[in-house]
Amino acid sequence: MAAKWIEALTGSLEQKKQYRQYKARIEALPEPYREAAKAFDRYFMYYGGITDGDTLVTMLGDFADLFERAAVDGTPVTDLIGDDPVEFAETFTQSYGGTRWIDKERARLSKAIGDIEKKEQP
Amino acid sequence: MGKQMTEMLKGTLEGIVLAILAGQPAYGYEITARLREQGFTDIAEGTIYALLVRIEQRGLVDVEKVPSEKGPPRKVYSLNARGRGELDEFWKTWSFLAERIEHLHGDNDTGTGTN
Repeated sequence: MAAKWIEALTGSLEQKKQYRQYKARIEALPEPYREAAKAFDRYFMYYGGITDGDTLVTMLGDFADLFERAAVDGTPVTDLIGDDPVEFAETFTQSYGGTRWIDKERARLSKAIGDIEKKEQP
Repeated sequence: MGKQMTEMLKGTLEGIVLAILAGQPAYGYEITARLREQGFTDIAEGTIYALLVRIEQRGLVDVEKVPSEKGPPRKVYSLNARGRGELDEFWKTWSFLAERIEHLHGDNDTGTGTN
């Protein structure tokens, strides 16, 4: 499902290739890193909202780096993520500045309130 | 780590990491280790990683990928000119806040007669 979603999203073959590589890297992780990374992967698909394919594949590549590094170093998942996985997932995603679906709504909200401010000024 | 501590650190962690990088370049795990040495014992490596990603996106650090014998290359972060400017700004803001908050603290102490 996620694969179809990203293909609809990104036209670029290079991005598709990078996305497949990312998926393979996650699958290749030893447990429990694999299970943890897949849980985050699922959350990213719901929460991320990044509509720019380049930013998305960069983010996912960095995410795979982080987990591969932790698996090699033997860093426990709890040391890696801390005690709030949702907080981690959201901070991580927000660190990537690509265009998001929410941007359109932010612009709309700012304009709506800006128009009201103009009317209120005598 | 207490909830209040977590919340307060959130706003200052970026400055803290910039300050650590001002000393010398480092990769994610080294930064986490140094923070732990400084008494920030409960900071997760992933939190620092996410923060490093953010300051990289904002152009405050330069990144060099250094191959490692096993696993993916390590990303070594060093503070650039823009990052140093940001760090100066952080210290100014910090001094202002610390001074104002200490002032409030002093006022309260007089009020309650404690300390």
